[in-house]
Amino acid sequence: MEKEIILNVSNLSKYYKYYKSIFDIRRDVIKAVDNVTFNVFKNEIFAVVGETGCGKSTLSKLIMGLISKTSGDIYYYGELLDYKDKKKDFRKKIQIVFQDPYSSLNPKKKIYKIISYPAIKSNIIKKTDRLDFAVSLLKNVGLSEEIIYNYPHELSGGQRQRVSIARSLSVSPELLVLDEPVSALDMSISAQILNLLMDLQRQGKISYIFITHDLKLVRHIADRVCVMYGGKIMEISPSPDFFDAPAHPYSNVLYNSILSYSFKKRLNFINLNENNKGLEGVNKEKEKTGGCIYFKKCYASKEVCKENKPPLKDIGHNRIVSCFFPFTHQDL
Amino acid sequence: MNLEIKDLTIRLYPKKSGGRYINVVDSVDLNIKGGEIAAIVGESGSGKSFLGLSILRLNPPDVSKIVSGSVKIKCLEKNDELDIIKLYRKDLPSVRGRLISMVFQDPNTSLNPVIKIGEQITEAIFAHEKVGKLEAKEIAISYLNRMNVDGRARFNSYPHELSGGMRQRVMIAMAMVLNPCFLIADEPTTALDVTTSLQVLNLIEKIRLESNLGVIFITHDLSIAKNISDKTYVFYAGQVMECGKTEEIIDNPLHPYTVSLIKSVPSLSKDYMQGQRLFTIPGYLTNDDFMPGKCRFYSRCFKKGKDCLQNIPLSLNKINSERFVRCLKV
Repeated sequence: MEKEIILNVSNLSKYYKYYKSIFDIRRDVIKAVDNVTFNVFKNEIFAVVGETGCGKSTLSKLIMGLISKTSGDIYYYGELLDYKDKKKDFRKKIQIVFQDPYSSLNPKKKIYKIISYPAIKSNIIKKTDRLDFAVSLLKNVGLSEEIIYNYPHELSGGQRQRVSIARSLSVSPELLVLDEPVSALDMSISAQILNLLMDLQRQGKISYIFITHDLKLVRHIADRVCVMYGGKIMEISPSPDFFDAPAHPYSNVLYNSILSYSFKKRLNFINLNENNKGLEGVNKEKEKTGGCIYFKKCYASKEVCKENKPPLKDIGHNRIVSCFFPFTHQDL
Repeated sequence: MNLEIKDLTIRLYPKKSGGRYINVVDSVDLNIKGGEIAAIVGESGSGKSFLGLSILRLNPPDVSKIVSGSVKIKCLEKNDELDIIKLYRKDLPSVRGRLISMVFQDPNTSLNPVIKIGEQITEAIFAHEKVGKLEAKEIAISYLNRMNVDGRARFNSYPHELSGGMRQRVMIAMAMVLNPCFLIADEPTTALDVTTSLQVLNLIEKIRLESNLGVIFITHDLSIAKNISDKTYVFYAGQVMECGKTEEIIDNPLHPYTVSLIKSVPSLSKDYMQGQRLFTIPGYLTNDDFMPGKCRFYSRCFKKGKDCLQNIPLSLNKINSERFVRCLKV
């Protein structure tokens, strides 16, 4: 059965320009998001993984229209996504939950006001109904109605993140962008939030773009995984296949750096990387080379990678990889 | 080499509390030898960082007070045992950095942004040893090289010129430069990426092997504890709930809190069901949990019974020679 595509991102780019030095008029470019293309299907959890600086948060802001794009297009159900178009009202359909629940709620407003504000603004409810509306939403995310008159500082981290999710759900969106929703929370609390998110998704209708750097969560929650590095997509794979055999060398490094207590022995720390090759963070020099941006750190690199950019190619099993020498099921 | 904490109790007097206090660290026993890594695992607000700070007597003196207990340290065989709690304040600098040193959570805020890193490292050397400028520089460079940082090139860098992982490695170099026998690492990898955090763990493991270092590793992530430590102390509301060998604790957790912690993290094993509901611990840690007179985990426990409120698990039950649990139901 062909799934319905809810969001189509095609060739999306965001470049930041900066002056090399104050004496030099020439400007250099950082490609925060570079030529990114992917689809999100209906009722799917699409995970975006990568380390700091790989452009995953920029991607989420681009989808939300919080920053302007350099080039490329985003389509929502085949229609060009333009938040300025008042008639189509895309704001109601796509919502975001931010990483830090401590800074993304207005400290001066009571909880019921925070939750019902988006719905009032988009004319879903009248201002007089806001209390009942807030209570019903709070029940949805598993909070008791006692807290509606509280202020955000009176709540714990987990409760705040739930309020934040409730606020996003108030306009009943069909796509929710989750920008590291649990990384600021404790283990026991983050389990509560993940359960909540999975319950909401199983009720139907809603899709997630789940941005994270924790592969354990991805394994648990996601249907498909997208690995980003230096603003580019390295690999898109269905989650079970990805965790059986990560195809891109960078995915492999990420996979091998997960710490889990299901490992039987004490970790024999990294055999992949002598001299820490492959584990350094993203640096700015990467743009200068004509070849693969992961070339310098890759343990599988060969001469051809230095000169040519690897295209995104299909390696079967619905997997797309940007590498000349991907691991495949045959290699195992 | 031996670091022994016995019955350490620290009171915290929160501001504007009108004299009310909570025991933020409550009769904690901890024992660590050279070359061992002991992990202290607990959620935020459980007092684990406070314990780390007060081993070095770095706890804020205006709001907290060490009520009882001892922290005995013995570095070399010929030296006498030293009780850090009984030391005069003026003698403390001879312990800090020299016998025990500390690595803090966030390398972005714990390095001085306006001083070159080389200067920050040599500062520690000058404070403790009578060496010349050039000699100190050589020592600093050799330690930076040991931490996989190009010492000669980075000696004159400012912190903002380094990446997060590199800054944390500089912090470890700074802590190790006087060759202490114990290191307290307070969540050294929390602010870092998965790949860089693995590097830092790798490095701690390496220096432990090279210089027979005893490490107290404070973390909130049991999976990190599993992969790096020999012993684990599970901490909740200022008390040790369970302690023992790490492998035993992970494979066979006894205290309800440890059980819930392990169950609430997605696992990577092959037989693990994807997408199942995760186990959760209801509620959250509050100040009331620190109150004496009941089991501190009572309000969130899934095994609690009526007798839990009457008979307080005052002491740790001994399971075997190294395994202790603070629970009536075990």
